[in-house]
Amino acid sequence: MSRGRGSGPSLVGASGRSYFFPDIRLADVGRQSPRRHVLPEPIMRLATIAALALFAPSLAHAQEEPAGLPEGGIPVESQLVRERCAGCHLTDGTGRMSRISYMRKTPEGWQTTIRRMVMLNGVELEPATARDMVRYLSNNHGIAPEEVRPGLFEVERRLIDYDYTADDDTEATCIACHSMGRVITQRRTGEEWELLMATHRGLYPLSDFQALTRGGRSEDGYAMDRAVDHLSEVFPLETPEWSAWSATMRTPRLSGRWALAGHLPGEGPIYGRVDIAPGAGPDGVETRTTYTVARSGREVTRTGSAIIYTGFQWRGRSFEGPGEEGELREVMLIERDWQEMSGRWFTGAYDEFGPDVALSRVTGGPLVSGIHPKAVKAGESTVVTLYGAALPDGLSAADLDFGPGVAVSAITSSSGERATLRLDVAAGAPEGSRDLFLAGLSLRGALTVFDEVDRIEVTPQAGMARIGGAAFPKGYQQFEATAYSDGPDGEANTADDLGLGVVAAEWSTEEYAATLDDSDISFVGTLDQNGRFTPALDGPNPERVGSRNNVGDVWVVARYTPPGSTESLQARAHLVVTVPLYLRWEPWRVTGG
Amino acid sequence: MKHLEPINRKAGRIEAHTEGGGHRAGGYGEADATVGVPTDPEGEHDVVALQSGEAGAHIPLGCSLVFFPGWEVDSTGGTAGLCQPVERDLFDCHLACFWPAHVPDQLNYSPDWTAKCAAAQNDWRNIDLIFP
Repeated sequence: MSRGRGSGPSLVGASGRSYFFPDIRLADVGRQSPRRHVLPEPIMRLATIAALALFAPSLAHAQEEPAGLPEGGIPVESQLVRERCAGCHLTDGTGRMSRISYMRKTPEGWQTTIRRMVMLNGVELEPATARDMVRYLSNNHGIAPEEVRPGLFEVERRLIDYDYTADDDTEATCIACHSMGRVITQRRTGEEWELLMATHRGLYPLSDFQALTRGGRSEDGYAMDRAVDHLSEVFPLETPEWSAWSATMRTPRLSGRWALAGHLPGEGPIYGRVDIAPGAGPDGVETRTTYTVARSGREVTRTGSAIIYTGFQWRGRSFEGPGEEGELREVMLIERDWQEMSGRWFTGAYDEFGPDVALSRVTGGPLVSGIHPKAVKAGESTVVTLYGAALPDGLSAADLDFGPGVAVSAITSSSGERATLRLDVAAGAPEGSRDLFLAGLSLRGALTVFDEVDRIEVTPQAGMARIGGAAFPKGYQQFEATAYSDGPDGEANTADDLGLGVVAAEWSTEEYAATLDDSDISFVGTLDQNGRFTPALDGPNPERVGSRNNVGDVWVVARYTPPGSTESLQARAHLVVTVPLYLRWEPWRVTGG
Repeated sequence: MKHLEPINRKAGRIEAHTEGGGHRAGGYGEADATVGVPTDPEGEHDVVALQSGEAGAHIPLGCSLVFFPGWEVDSTGGTAGLCQPVERDLFDCHLACFWPAHVPDQLNYSPDWTAKCAAAQNDWRNIDLIFP
């Protein structure tokens, strides 16, 4: 069986800059190993036990009850989906198709499904056809905004802690192998949840031992049985949320100007604008984005395109420059009023880089996005920059009201999108956040007045990097140090504490002694003075005991001395540097071939 | 433990290690509490004997602790208890389809994953990254 460049699956063709089903080709995204990102060939293995388990239910239906699909279900009205799926999936007189009509998913979920049909079941599709199918299925067998919101971390590719507290059996069954995010962003009938479990048992026989029947059988069955019962109850196909959303769903009209505010880990706040114009197809848009990194003044211009799925799910790709440099994948949720959208733009071998973003529609009136620096010290004069859109011409100090103890002593520059102000904060001004009022609009918590920096925190508190660079891509970890004031009560970790923003700390690593004298710190990688950890090479290291990989645990330590202070503040976080992933389930990834 | 004297060299090294502060970032005082790191001024609980110590603070997203050891971290949230080097039994994970979300499975998606690499510990550079 051949592999690699020149050979590949039946999913071939040009795709341009689309989010889903991009070209099947080698695409080094900068930090990835530029070789051997391999997509397996489609494998016809229906004769295997696994595939029989996967398809036996629907085939059995086809043989026993030719027109007897279960009640309910969503009719498939797309001729394309009907034609391309009918080879295996049964269609009844109402347009319902076996399996397909009884589940709803995110665009990512549908892409995973279609890829599996290509990889394991010999389906042949052009990428453009596959994208059309994802679009139809996401719009008609999709998921409502309220349903996807708890699982946004999955599609936004956030490395977070997530506890599924509704049912321990379900959580234990699913997270044995993957994130709960995959589960909670789907809706299925009870029978479909059962078939999903059967699929897992068929494809991965050991999963019975590992999770599905772990703990043995009790009166109400195995853990997997209880999980199916739970999932059928809380994530059913038919929900009021989907009924309401699908009734009002339409392609949002997003063209126009939007103000961008965001946070780029490692660089700090970003402010700018996004101009949206109609793009290819009825739900496509083109974008031009410009933003400023507030701390450094770095200016960034990006162009891109996106498709809006299910009336609210933005999936785009954007680039710096005319080529494909600086690619970011864009995932945003558009609010129902079409006035706000937010999400994450990301890149990296493990999606570890990129900003959190929030866009606000600029409707003609002034709009304030934020102020940098956001924290000003009592008794001092501080120059800050106010970012926004359509700010009034001839902005004067009298137009700006920052509340008690804060006076605008000068406006040194002003344009429609930003103004530079000098703020005089009275000694003894009460600590706390200040709302800004400007020309009839307000920005809650625009500014924070503080007495002194009492402590810093490192985020994330627990980070994870993956060794790489020799055969597999590195997984990086960015840390940040955020300053805090203990607030008026002078006690740390109380409700009145004030966040003062990210500060420039000195960074170092220290040994975390899980194993005596293993000297992880000497092997795992390096931490730069911007808080970015770069892991060491993958592969066995003959210089370590037992030829261990360059994995390990270290403390990441930040030290910061506030201006005017002689005492440095310190904080630390735990970093795990661990092994690569040899398999990547993220279905949108551009792959080699 | 404070009343015991080490009688062999290893115990002596452990005591010297803990007293020397090699396991602590040092000088944190109250700052430890503020950043969520367990405050342990006397260092009594900070040295963890392999994976048998107190439960770790964090299990990263996507990892698994149902199998032992886990893929990214062990049961303490660290790496001390992982199978190492990972290449040593990587193909066992593949053949047994033991890590379906981490390692290509031999049963369905990647039946010939080992074709270019007879012994992962030696030929690990020839292993393909698989996108099912």
